[in-house]
Amino acid sequence: MLVVENLRKEFKNVVAVDNISFKVEEGRIFGILGPNGAGKTTTIRTVLNIIKPNWGQITFNGKPITNEFFNIIGYLPEERGLYKKSKVIEVIQYLAGLKKIPRRKAYSEAKFWLQKLELEQYIDKKIEELSKGNQQKIQFIISIIHNPKLLILDEPFTGFDPINQTIIKEIILSFVTSGKVIILSTHQMETAERLCPDILLMNKGKEVYKGTINNLKRNFGVNTVKIEFEGDAHFIGSLPVVKNIDRYSNYAEVQLNENIDPSEFLKMLVDKISIKHFSVLEPTLNKIFIDVIKQTQTQ
Amino acid sequence: MKKIYEVARWEYIEKIKTKTFIISLILTPAILILFSITPTLLTEQEVTHTKTIGIVDTSGLYINGIRDKLSEYTIKNNQPNYLVINLTSKKGSLYELKKSTDKDVINEKIEGYLLIENAGTDSVSLSYRSKSLGNHKDVKRFEAAFNENRIKLRFDKENVKPYLLDYISQSVELNQIKIEESGRETTHDFMLTFFSSFIFIMLLMMMIIYSGGMLIRSLVEEKSNRLIEILISSCTPNELLSGKILGLSALGLTQIFIWIMIGISLAGTAIVPLEAFSNVLPILVYFILGFIFYTSLFVGIGSIVTSEQEAQQITTYLSLLLVLPIIFVLPALENPDAFYIKILSYIPLTLPSFMMLRLNISPVPMWEILSTILIMIISIYLMIDFSGKIFRVGILSYGKRPTLKELSRWLKEK
Repeated sequence: MLVVENLRKEFKNVVAVDNISFKVEEGRIFGILGPNGAGKTTTIRTVLNIIKPNWGQITFNGKPITNEFFNIIGYLPEERGLYKKSKVIEVIQYLAGLKKIPRRKAYSEAKFWLQKLELEQYIDKKIEELSKGNQQKIQFIISIIHNPKLLILDEPFTGFDPINQTIIKEIILSFVTSGKVIILSTHQMETAERLCPDILLMNKGKEVYKGTINNLKRNFGVNTVKIEFEGDAHFIGSLPVVKNIDRYSNYAEVQLNENIDPSEFLKMLVDKISIKHFSVLEPTLNKIFIDVIKQTQTQ
Repeated sequence: MKKIYEVARWEYIEKIKTKTFIISLILTPAILILFSITPTLLTEQEVTHTKTIGIVDTSGLYINGIRDKLSEYTIKNNQPNYLVINLTSKKGSLYELKKSTDKDVINEKIEGYLLIENAGTDSVSLSYRSKSLGNHKDVKRFEAAFNENRIKLRFDKENVKPYLLDYISQSVELNQIKIEESGRETTHDFMLTFFSSFIFIMLLMMMIIYSGGMLIRSLVEEKSNRLIEILISSCTPNELLSGKILGLSALGLTQIFIWIMIGISLAGTAIVPLEAFSNVLPILVYFILGFIFYTSLFVGIGSIVTSEQEAQQITTYLSLLLVLPIIFVLPALENPDAFYIKILSYIPLTLPSFMMLRLNISPVPMWEILSTILIMIISIYLMIDFSGKIFRVGILSYGKRPTLKELSRWLKEK
């Protein structure tokens, strides 16, 4: 388990990360979300021990992260690039070597992953001869070739076409079952929604939300229900629990006041009109993201 | 340690395969050889045709003697070097004669002519008029021929025995002998000293420019595509830095090794005189230490530049520091014990090249050799520490180049 407590990092006059804490358990993908400049990358870099925090503690399985952890950490940085003039296999062997993977083992592992990602024909090609997407796949291989216990992926899907996105996603999900600790940083809400049960939403270095996605939707989502009915529904608009109503002849979208349970609201209706359909509208994470960020910005 | 080796291995193998390395490997000695032998070749170029030289001698006293003397010089196939013709004419004034003979020179009828003007019995002026100034060798011969003739004429007049002439014309040359501690003595040859100091300083400079440039370029690449983040999430900045310095030093040693091989195979030939190797061992030590020192400096600087243009600029400035000793070769030859030469041979930036220079000029006491080597080793250690501190922060700072104030803060950071 990775535990980050009270992390703070200041740069010249700027607090990049301000009192961030979170935990990531084995077999769960933890999403760090936030707009550009929220402090995601700085958080990641401190976790990686690339930069030292001004304050706070980071432990992995109870031990503080030190240089001894280099070999069990896999990292895919947001900006991609490799030694352009060098051969695919040599670059992989070098960077795997830095994770203390012997050259021969690195070679066989590289072959395995290149095959899996349909790149085996490029093994002896120079990096610059590969398409951008394929270069990114090589970089992905480099981040996982040493079978890391802690895998940190910064925007792993940008630049991939949908087919490759699916391939990469499946590989990441297979790591979940093998019990890795995975951190995924992104500003693509759909990615987070599909992959990460737990998230940390950051803005301007501060925590905006931390917890499960379901909770986030419940807390920050606008409380809206959709009903289909028969009968006179005029009275709904005057109910104290209703904030706003959008009513048609036998269909309405009702925005309830916060902390009103939709089932309570339903009870108020059933005696007066006949309900054909009742559903709670789930807001998309995308909408929450924009709302929440806007909210914190105006504060 | 294993990671330092991995980095060094990568830097070494990737760089040795580059075109830049192969070019510098071949081009550097080629340029040096070109520089050192071309002047010799040019001055020793054989004359292939007889030169027609005119003489205008209004007194008529010297012409025969000069002609006899000049006819002694021959070029290949026993062909005379000079054909001397008398252009003195009694007609018209000297002014008109000069004018018409000058025309002959312009029209290339003659190579040039000696003008001997007698103003009085003891006052005579000699000039050589030709289309181009220069040919030092010819002019010296003309001068000698005239003077010998002039003295001879006077001796005849005063009834001095002719063999005394030879005695007078043979002046004794002063030989400079360099006494070395071993008791060995070598003739002090300016060209040789210059050349052997020059060759090592130039080699060091060119190597540092090439490999320093290479190093900075690769650092800029790693920074711009964020590879550096992968690297330092795999090893510490110090391991990365040490690996890079080690790899590059190995590359430099390979280069030196190949050059020494070339040097040995050419040793004793006209191109590389054997004496150039007389101090080769201490020179090699300074060479390697100097190379490592500058490489560590370049790593630190390379980590703060953000573009290749910037890298180019900085490489150029730094390498100027290395050329400095070349300017000092002449004054150092005149006075090897000058205070400023000593000072400069104790400052790490200039130490290697000035010690190489001093070793070639005069014997350097052992304690000075040992203390300078010690200074160099300590400076390398400090430089790696200094560069490491800048490197640690520099590799992760993108965009603007840091100010001096920021740099000093980085140095204090723990």
